[in-house]
Amino acid sequence: MATEKRDKEEEEVKTDDGSLKIKPRPIVQLGIFLVAHSPVFSVVFSAAGVLALLILPLLAKNTYISENALMPGSARSMLSNRDVSDGSKLVKDIKNYRLNHEGQVQKLIGKYMSEMGAEVYYQKFHPEGNQFHPLHFFSGPDSYTLLDNVSCASYGVNVAGIIRAPRGDGKESIVLVTPYDFINGGDYEALSLGITGTLFSLLARVTWLSKDIIWLVADSRYGDYRPVAAWLTEYHSPSFKDSDLLKCGELNTADKFRRAGTMAAALVLKVDGRSERFEDTLSIYAEASNGQMPNLDLINVVNYLAVHRQGFYVKVEKVVSLLSSSWLKIIGEIFEAVGKLAHTLNPDWNFGIPTADYLEGSATLASSLYSQALGIPTGPHGAFRDYQVDAITLKVSPRFPPDSKTRQHDFFLRGAKLLEGTIRSVNNLLEKFHQSFFLYLLTSPSKFISVGVYMIAFALLVASLPMVAASLYIDGCKALNNSTLNPAGNFKSWKWLDAAKQVFALHLFGLIVTLLPYFICQVPGQHSPSNRSIMWGTTSSSLLLITFATIPGCSPFSSRRHGTNWAVLKSVTISAAFIGLCLMSIINFATAEIGALLLVPTCLIVQPIKPALRSRRIKSLLGAFCSMVLLTIGFPVMLFAISKGLFGEGLVGLSLGGEFWTWLESLWAWKSATYLYIGMVHLPCWLLCLCILFHPS
Amino acid sequence: MKFLILVMLLCYSFAFSSGDTTIHTNNWAVLVCTSRFWFNYRHMANTLSLYRTVKRLGIPDERIILMLADDMACNARNEYPAQVFNNENHKLNLYGDNVEVDYRGYEVTVENFLRVLTGRHENAVPRSKRLLSDEGSHILLYMTGHGGDEFLKFQDAEELQSHDLADAVKQMKEKRRFKELMIMVDTCQAATLFNQLQSPGVLAIGSSLKGENSYSHHLDSDVGVSVVDRFTYYTLAFFERLNIYDNASLNSLFRSYDPKLLMSTAYYRTDLYQPHLAEVPVTNFFGSVMETIHTDSVYKAFSSKTSNNKINSEMPVNQLSEHDELQKANIPNDELKTEKQKCPYTQMRVDLHEKLEKFENVDTVVNLGIAVMVFVVMISSSLL
Repeated sequence: MATEKRDKEEEEVKTDDGSLKIKPRPIVQLGIFLVAHSPVFSVVFSAAGVLALLILPLLAKNTYISENALMPGSARSMLSNRDVSDGSKLVKDIKNYRLNHEGQVQKLIGKYMSEMGAEVYYQKFHPEGNQFHPLHFFSGPDSYTLLDNVSCASYGVNVAGIIRAPRGDGKESIVLVTPYDFINGGDYEALSLGITGTLFSLLARVTWLSKDIIWLVADSRYGDYRPVAAWLTEYHSPSFKDSDLLKCGELNTADKFRRAGTMAAALVLKVDGRSERFEDTLSIYAEASNGQMPNLDLINVVNYLAVHRQGFYVKVEKVVSLLSSSWLKIIGEIFEAVGKLAHTLNPDWNFGIPTADYLEGSATLASSLYSQALGIPTGPHGAFRDYQVDAITLKVSPRFPPDSKTRQHDFFLRGAKLLEGTIRSVNNLLEKFHQSFFLYLLTSPSKFISVGVYMIAFALLVASLPMVAASLYIDGCKALNNSTLNPAGNFKSWKWLDAAKQVFALHLFGLIVTLLPYFICQVPGQHSPSNRSIMWGTTSSSLLLITFATIPGCSPFSSRRHGTNWAVLKSVTISAAFIGLCLMSIINFATAEIGALLLVPTCLIVQPIKPALRSRRIKSLLGAFCSMVLLTIGFPVMLFAISKGLFGEGLVGLSLGGEFWTWLESLWAWKSATYLYIGMVHLPCWLLCLCILFHPS
Repeated sequence: MKFLILVMLLCYSFAFSSGDTTIHTNNWAVLVCTSRFWFNYRHMANTLSLYRTVKRLGIPDERIILMLADDMACNARNEYPAQVFNNENHKLNLYGDNVEVDYRGYEVTVENFLRVLTGRHENAVPRSKRLLSDEGSHILLYMTGHGGDEFLKFQDAEELQSHDLADAVKQMKEKRRFKELMIMVDTCQAATLFNQLQSPGVLAIGSSLKGENSYSHHLDSDVGVSVVDRFTYYTLAFFERLNIYDNASLNSLFRSYDPKLLMSTAYYRTDLYQPHLAEVPVTNFFGSVMETIHTDSVYKAFSSKTSNNKINSEMPVNQLSEHDELQKANIPNDELKTEKQKCPYTQMRVDLHEKLEKFENVDTVVNLGIAVMVFVVMISSSLL
């Protein structure tokens, strides 16, 4: 502080002769320089932001086990043929039982568990899913209140078995989940029970457990997620009132719900259809709600054991359509050439990767970004993330048909060995996962981009916004001073207030539109999604008209006298977009990144269309055209349609509104912050840009 | 009066300044494992192995301070409950019946460690937990854990720095708590821990130089962890071939470390240590004092006098077994020698006794004796 003062004094002394102007500090000078040349810099920064995003697959690092305690693969597997035959027997029994009986398979599994020496209990739950409540965003997992009018018509029954660690303190546990549809479950699904049954048979007799093992067979009749979420809710928030569900069915679940300490990690195992590759395939799903990821170490352990010990082919989701896209291929080739050139210049520069790798990496990265941005969990593991438990879903696809007995033995052995190794690693943990990354994007099962790297792309994209806002504000003030002979020069610094009013009004409108679906859902009677979307659309547009009518100066069609200067309006819009994007980047980075890719160019390029048409200069016409295109793409419904097409899901043109509604419904049902972002940041900013485009200047 | 006191003080100080020349009378060992957590199993196994070795070589339990920062034997993750192994063959349980751990678990702190060294204990601390060494003591200080540049981590919570150690050693020297001190450290960058030492009589050996890591030797895939560190493993391999009476020199121990096997360079600091390493037997530190005065007793005491005269300064590890055989072959000869080497006075008496036994009729001898004496008396009286 003192030095700062002295510096100032010195500068003042220096400039004392002649003018009274104080030389600004270097940082201020830099700021002034950037603002003065904002058009150039905004283009440079935005281009750099996009380039940084494209370059990310090149910057991906190999994953490594960060936590010393894990020591994956250091212990020899103890699985024996006896365990495998136990597992096979369970699968056979289930098949036979389902052929001959109508009753509940849960009892059979429960019997198997208790024969192994586990504590078994059954849990009944309601299948009704999440419901939208505007106030429940970010409020954590809700305690599903017990409904009084419970019907016995539909309910699910989970089975859970707990193996107590023989010398453990019983304060921690590891959870294994196998979703199984007890009514319609196929042969492949039963294999997951076989693998876990094999493992359970081993774990029941080992001496090295320090954490209890819980095996949850989730009744996936009503989806994978709901039974797991219901079980977790009851595990964490016990209800002391007897549920009416207890009386339903012949299965008595009155016995106590048993618990086993805090969960260190959870693994969800599913066996999917046949693998299209020669090896057995293991797909890892990690994204939980709002782009939250489990600790990278968990993925690393599974990946390490699967690849180096059990010889699975491990993959993570990718956007398949990108693999064949020609423009990405060209970019990949350019990067490869640049990498080779750099390598010839300096052998230490080894950042070039082959085009094929680049394509794979980009496709995986795009999928990773998309899944995180959507904010919807990619499997039942998402339910665990709500309780800060690291969990992943492993989807195994065997290379043999489900009735092949000889292959099945080997498959059970390898699958159970993989799980055993993972559990032994997690069992070695002393604290919950904390050593490795939580914020990362995957470009392959063994490559990741950490938060420090991928933030750069976003930072570069949004960096131009405050610069342009400042420069526009200065321009706008000058223009106002020139055009009006308003004596209110005292209020020079309040010029932005009119524009801010407009921006605020439209954001308020955005908030109301965001909350509208809640009320539309309350409308009595059954409505199809298309009807609801029409209801929503009409109410929103009428609301918009009301807003324009009641608040003077808001509308692009209002008279010139009330209208604010478009430059100031754009400046405030850009500031609002900047704040919105920055806030969103904290909540869900991937959403903010994709949002910035759309919103930043739109906000930067948009200009009133009338002067451009009047001037008839190619440059301004081109600008107007670009802003028109960007604004068209930027409309949320349009965006949804485009993303559908991009992900190869096909467009159903007629029911677009209905699909959009269903999509949004799923967003809010999963409490995705992306929904809030679309309603409260994207939509208002898009409307404001529209106002600027049609500004009567 | 004042003069007298002055003289007395002078004498006193003189007497104490001659402390350096006191003879080696006893041996102590302080064995410290500083790290917690299951994945540091090997550090506890290191320490327990060395504990077993020094006990085998003759340091009694009451003179060993064993500090173990965690209890691997009873860890729930241990597949062999209440057992600790330092080899995957599981032949030797290091955590048998007679292991006395003096400081365990969270008691192993830098503070307690320094208290043990300097002897500044609270009154309530029992004698068994104190290092009651004196100016004739040889102390072995063995430490293992995770270290770095001039520090050694304790319990993953605090650290012992090289100047802390040097300060403690200096205090020990001032308080005459040792004659010679050998510090053996098995951590990463162990050599840096000795940088600040400056007290005479200190010999230091570390597993690795600055910038080097100390690696584990092998993994036990049943237990699922590494069970021993390389430096300690090869130290133990050296000592396994020795018994109490062997005379391998410190030099041969230090030369047995092969950087290729260790994957680090063992470093030893000798500038504070006067004696020539080739002349100091390892049992000076790793064993107990066996200097005894022979008397003729019913017990056939083993004499090591002859072999003690020469110290094998050059004893590479691979020749050890040969040497052992030689030693054993020598044993019968040694016993023969001891028969002849008895004190002269007893020897004379024994000879006389034997000769006396040879006489058959004692009465005639006595009578003849009396006759001779009478004859002598008569001659002598006639002469007078």
